[in-house]
Amino acid sequence: MVCANGETRTTKRRSLMNRACILLAGVAMVSVGVARANEKLVELSKDNGNWVMNGRTYEAQNYSPLTQISTSNVKNLRVAWSFSDGVLNGHEGAPLVVNGMMYIQSPFPNRTFALNLDNPGRIVWENNPKQSSAARSVACCDVVNRGLAYWPGDDTTAPLLFKNLLDGHLVAMDAKTGKTVWKIENNDIRVGSTLTGAPYVVKDEVLTGSSGAELGVRGYITAYDVHTGAQKWRAYATGSDESMLIGKNFNITNPQYGTSDLGLETWQDNGWKIGGGTNWGWYAYDPQENLIYYGSGNPSPWNATMRPGDNKWTMTIFGRDADTGMAKFGYQKTPHDEWDYAGVDVMMLSEQRDKNGKLRKLLTHPDRNGIVYTLDRTNGDLVSANKIDDTVNWVRHVDMKTGIPVRDPEYATYMDHKARGVCPAAMGYHNQGFDSYDPQKQRFMLGANHLCMDWEPFMLPYRAGQFFVGATLSIYPGPKGNRQTGEGSGQIKSYDAITGKMSWSKMERFAVWGGTMSTAGNLVFYGTLDGFIKARDSRTGELLWKFKLPSGVVGNPITFEHKGVQYVAIYYGVGGWPGVGLVFDLTDPSAGLGAVGAFKEMAHYTQQGGGVMVFSLNGKGPYDDVNLGEYEN
Amino acid sequence: MTIRMIFSATATATLALAFASPAFAAYDGTHCKKPGVCWEPQPGYPEQLVGSKYDPHFDPAELAKQQESEDAMVARNKARTAYFIKTGTWVEDVNQIPK
Repeated sequence: MVCANGETRTTKRRSLMNRACILLAGVAMVSVGVARANEKLVELSKDNGNWVMNGRTYEAQNYSPLTQISTSNVKNLRVAWSFSDGVLNGHEGAPLVVNGMMYIQSPFPNRTFALNLDNPGRIVWENNPKQSSAARSVACCDVVNRGLAYWPGDDTTAPLLFKNLLDGHLVAMDAKTGKTVWKIENNDIRVGSTLTGAPYVVKDEVLTGSSGAELGVRGYITAYDVHTGAQKWRAYATGSDESMLIGKNFNITNPQYGTSDLGLETWQDNGWKIGGGTNWGWYAYDPQENLIYYGSGNPSPWNATMRPGDNKWTMTIFGRDADTGMAKFGYQKTPHDEWDYAGVDVMMLSEQRDKNGKLRKLLTHPDRNGIVYTLDRTNGDLVSANKIDDTVNWVRHVDMKTGIPVRDPEYATYMDHKARGVCPAAMGYHNQGFDSYDPQKQRFMLGANHLCMDWEPFMLPYRAGQFFVGATLSIYPGPKGNRQTGEGSGQIKSYDAITGKMSWSKMERFAVWGGTMSTAGNLVFYGTLDGFIKARDSRTGELLWKFKLPSGVVGNPITFEHKGVQYVAIYYGVGGWPGVGLVFDLTDPSAGLGAVGAFKEMAHYTQQGGGVMVFSLNGKGPYDDVNLGEYEN
Repeated sequence: MTIRMIFSATATATLALAFASPAFAAYDGTHCKKPGVCWEPQPGYPEQLVGSKYDPHFDPAELAKQQESEDAMVARNKARTAYFIKTGTWVEDVNQIPK
């Protein structure tokens, strides 16, 4: 089509042509703008001064090339500055750092703070949303929030920060002022649906998931236009192919995973309408493939006898087109889940040679079910599937041709039967922790849980907005822990996705819930539930440094450089599922879906708190200048 | 007892044990009707729930509530974004959006 003068036909035809030309020109301008915004975000993410998204870059590796802090000097790390955000409860995720500003996000009531790294002693702005306290009563596992997303702005719209509110809203804030620009309803707490995950920005859209599978919520992922909040697409986790954005080319490379119509066919009695599959975890994105990656969560209810079938497409690693949401592939890791192995865990992208020497674009996902999956992220091919720990017992192995987990029926769960000694427990051998990948060593640094359980289902009715679980759990440390003392429920490991071997593995007192961060200084950092931030040699696992924080950790560390100094930052604030006993003062061991008993010893080590702690070598930082921020008359 | 009788008795017992063993008979996920459809009921449990001991007795009105709520949210969001695009002002309460 030529969009110029010289049209010789009727006026009506000319008018239509002109409209089409204007539309095309608009599309072209939008495309250029989209490309620029995406490129700007990629550029920002590679700057060592920033930590602009969860995972640091779209590869979601939680890895930094910074080397100022190394194995030789990490023992000299000291506090440079700290900030209490005034909110207790579990602080999952991590702050963002963009162009000299740190953005901090709290659990409910989801306060956001901006601090200038030049003088973090003064709050630049705060966004303190008003939301219904009723949201607290439908949150399954503490009132956590996993963080923020940043969009760098374009010619028409200033840079934005996005956050989810527990009551189901997605909020766009002006990154410079903190003022709310728009606020969308994504979930309805009256039907039990909440938001605890972090939003994710790709091009000019912001993605958000959903929470509430413990209340029978049917999960969905939604993309909104960053400029206006207008919905671009939504894909459900269960139901018709149309509602799930599954087309005829779905799983075309791997039809053995299943293809069309299974979101209805693998359920009975309309159970898919309340079938769970909420995605409250993490995302990754490959700009070349234009695919986003995430995991759908557990089917609902937990009582598996009440939902016969494979329950597709819960428990699935999805690769979806970022522009349309159409699913290119879906691999269901735990068909007909019987143990609440909600597979929303982190997706880490890498490029490695497989066992045949072929360089492949990979996606590695440590799953709650105790298996670390590595897929070819271009088409969903299963490359490896290995146990996080040799004590995983619900599954014998994963059939690499079909992708099917070959279950051990001894650890099945069903009505009128109490399953004992199932490993992992419902909390998984891995959960929401954002782990890291060191591309130099080609190793994944996994913060793991070591928890097993007894499980006894019971029947219950579905009522919208009420809990819909149907199982009583007793959770305790795995075989390598100490079931007498209730300790030894965590591990930290270095994993080779090609050989399937662990390079090293160390036990921890409690689950390593928050994840890891790796650096080119041969270090892996992580926080612990009993309130330490630790650094280990990522080559050997040797413990090199630790510091006792004001409260336990359920988030992941980050690192950034500012004015020549490398900093390491981490949220403190115990809570989340492992901390529900502390947070809500519960003592019944089966309360908190089994977590209270599993972590009953934690109260002897830490109590509630909430904020961020920032470290540097010898504590070097802005307040080396003692006059900085002083009152001047 | 002859050797043949012993062998026969042993074989019968082994066969009986094999069928009685949960590890043999129970659902292990490997017997698929077609790709992606591999679920089987546990031995002695119903294939179809409705009318069985484990019928969840779903109420269609309750099952419809989530979609009704989502449709209503989508409609309200459309009204908000349309007004925002038109005026540059975000109005959260849709009842306050000028017609």
